[in-house]
Amino acid sequence: MTQERFITLVKAEQESLRRFLLALCSGDAALADDIAQEALVRAYVASGSFRGLSKFSTWLFRIAYNCYIDHTRRVRPEQVPLEDRAALRVPSDDASDASFRYQALYQALDRLPEKEKAVIALFYFEDRSIREMADILQMPSGTIKYHLSMGRNHLKAYIRL
Amino acid sequence: MKEPSIEEFLRENKPVVPDDPTFILETRRRMAEVEGIKGEVDRQRRYGRTVLIITLVVGVVIGALATALAFLFPIEPARLTGESFWEGVRLFLDGWKYILMPAVAVSAILLGLLLARDRRSAELL
Repeated sequence: MTQERFITLVKAEQESLRRFLLALCSGDAALADDIAQEALVRAYVASGSFRGLSKFSTWLFRIAYNCYIDHTRRVRPEQVPLEDRAALRVPSDDASDASFRYQALYQALDRLPEKEKAVIALFYFEDRSIREMADILQMPSGTIKYHLSMGRNHLKAYIRL
Repeated sequence: MKEPSIEEFLRENKPVVPDDPTFILETRRRMAEVEGIKGEVDRQRRYGRTVLIITLVVGVVIGALATALAFLFPIEPARLTGESFWEGVRLFLDGWKYILMPAVAVSAILLGLLLARDRRSAELL
């Protein structure tokens, strides 16, 4: 795959990829973009082996998710309380009700296990099908549905609507 | 009034990605770095391969000549004292010719395989 072809494909996916990682990073935009860049480098290095058996976007999201998992294994959890961490990530120029909603969302996402966070982000924010999610996360469809249901239940408990 | 479900809440509150025009520029910069590293690794690999091929070619030629010499001009060890350098060489070759011959053959096969692999890699690229 040529550099220009790769960039064209990435341009089409970058917003979606960054949003997925932003949700996984519970609103930490700088960290999400760092992981996205790392994922893109890994994808570019491996692009020679991409045979088109799955969609480019599915393949790219799989790499990004693996990068995120590597990152979480590498880095120790911060010592800052969850509420403070999420509050720091809320854009200050947002309308106050939107800020509260995002704050609540990111705080709740921060409390979810990685797999639940990933399925919630892919299903609700990226509108991916169960099959695509199974390809990205390398899990059987049944497991995806289980994590989705668990994630929803946990979020219901964490977010007061 | 119907209570908003968690699904509606999630769909209505997709995280907003901050607009960053430098994101793709940064990707391009990193890709250029990757290309630089790839180029350097390729150069090193080509250099190593060239040295290996030259060594094998020289080994095969000299080995084949030495083996041919040992077989074409058999010596009578009783008539050689081994005192001069060339007599020493001839005695050595005569003693080792049955080991030298397979070694040359193995080197030639290795060389052939290496060259064939090089040609195949070039075709794939």
